[in-house]
Amino acid sequence: MSDKKRDIGFYLSIYRKILIQDLKSKMSYRADFIISTFGMILTNLSGFITFMILFRNFPSINGWDYHHMLFLYGFALVSLTPVQCFFDNNWNLRFHVRTGDFIKYCFRPINVFFYFMSEVFDIKGLGQLAFGIGTLIYAWSHIGLEVTFGSICLMMLYLVTASLFMIAIMNFAAATAFWMEGSGNVMVIMFRFKDYARYPASIFNKIFRVIFTFIIPIAFVAYYPSLAILDPSEAPVMIGIAPIFGILFFFLSYKFWMRGVRRYDFTGS
Amino acid sequence: MEQKAIVMKDICKDFKVLNRHEGLKGSIRDLFSRDFRTVSAVKNVSLTIEKGEIIGYLGPNGAGKSTTIKMMTGVLEPTSGEITVNGNVPYKDRTKNSENIGVVFGQRSQLWWSLPLIESFNLLRDIYMVEKKDYEDMLDLYRSLVDLEPIINKPVRQMSLGQRTLSDILAAFLHNPDIVFLDEPTIGLDVSMKAKIRDLIKGLNENKNTTVILTTHDMGDVDALCKRIIIIDKGQKIYDNDIDHLKSYFGSYRTLSLRLSDDTWEEHLIDESKEDIMQIINEKQQKGGIKDIRLQEISTEEVIKKIYEGGV
Repeated sequence: MSDKKRDIGFYLSIYRKILIQDLKSKMSYRADFIISTFGMILTNLSGFITFMILFRNFPSINGWDYHHMLFLYGFALVSLTPVQCFFDNNWNLRFHVRTGDFIKYCFRPINVFFYFMSEVFDIKGLGQLAFGIGTLIYAWSHIGLEVTFGSICLMMLYLVTASLFMIAIMNFAAATAFWMEGSGNVMVIMFRFKDYARYPASIFNKIFRVIFTFIIPIAFVAYYPSLAILDPSEAPVMIGIAPIFGILFFFLSYKFWMRGVRRYDFTGS
Repeated sequence: MEQKAIVMKDICKDFKVLNRHEGLKGSIRDLFSRDFRTVSAVKNVSLTIEKGEIIGYLGPNGAGKSTTIKMMTGVLEPTSGEITVNGNVPYKDRTKNSENIGVVFGQRSQLWWSLPLIESFNLLRDIYMVEKKDYEDMLDLYRSLVDLEPIINKPVRQMSLGQRTLSDILAAFLHNPDIVFLDEPTIGLDVSMKAKIRDLIKGLNENKNTTVILTTHDMGDVDALCKRIIIIDKGQKIYDNDIDHLKSYFGSYRTLSLRLSDDTWEEHLIDESKEDIMQIINEKQQKGGIKDIRLQEISTEEVIKKIYEGGV
């Protein structure tokens, strides 16, 4: 009874099972499913149209032409997918904390962070992913970048890194709910910042560039990794170790989140 | 010697409570504030609970009940004192502790909201790593105790409150834990559902020899299920003994109900060793007349009320 090992394989299999059941139940509400799929397409389309209109008026932004900007746009869409799909329950955290409901996540013999996040899979992210990949491939071929094993791998690595940064930002923002009441505002502000990820950080002034690089590292969600692929000579040296930073940043956000859980227990309310 | 289910020795729990400030500015200040006061939620509580007991754990709101339960479940670490649950120190290894306990806490369901009950059960089976045979035996036991058919394929979100409570209790017993904590399991339920839930708890306790810690304000639960009760008030244990013993304390108490001439019932709690029942009846009779009289032994409800009001 006592020596049960719960390793990464255990967690993956649990997640897979929850996911399958969740998708099954979502599809059983057919009208709901169709409406949210439709809404998802519309959301992506409207974002894209805004982008097009912008480019009708400005042929380039700070030296970035249409296809380069498209690349950046697609990159941001893809790297924002994991936070949307797998970590969307962060948005509900403050309600669970305020009502005292959160305690229920503390009684199971599994990781609290995992248990909490596994409860929600946001299917809307999948449309975003498809849209993003399409945009990326289109931009990639028009810019005339080479398709090699190395470049694909590098791309993957940067996408994962960028996702980690975004997930970490949202973890930090959501976990403030354990300490303060107005955490909803923090989340909304952080989530707004993600829109800036779609533009070259070089268009911002120096102060914002420093903020978006070191404090709220939104520039890592799309700009720096895109730069590293499109124009490696322009990219800052630190982009090479960005994957390590990404992992570290995610780990810190996880620790911060779990510290919040302990604090929640201690105040007991 | 058989291992005790729960042993607590001189357990204390203090909370540091932040003196909160108002507004967004205030809440930012709270983030860094060191402006704490200490609130003592549980004071020197010692208790021993044997395997297989059903304990009624009572106390007024804010008495420290849920704080104690949280310490038993390993969510909270006591400020001082010793605690063991099934021989383990719960807060030191929360994961190991939670394998051996089941919890139904608060009114919100702990099951997956949109999943059919059987899928929630399957997931719990995986999470607790229950052997296939044990799992099937448990489902068979469930079927012998309650009618599973109407709920087993139903998503929790579509269930009535009664069905949901039933499901939550079944889920808490699924991995055959040594101890199950139930927090007000019958609150808000109709009479027949209450009876069903009580029968279920009793049945599971008898079949699996599971220790049950039952927090409740409903004395019907206590009468139906518990031999022993523990009462806590203002963080201190004020009573811990058989329920019969408690009643014998108040053995000289009677509830006298009188129907007066205007057809209203009037209730008097009388201590026979101090007051004369006949005298009270005579007085009332002279004032306005009595149509009907009922004399009863003190109910558990009134005993508890008496204790909350004045102590034993």
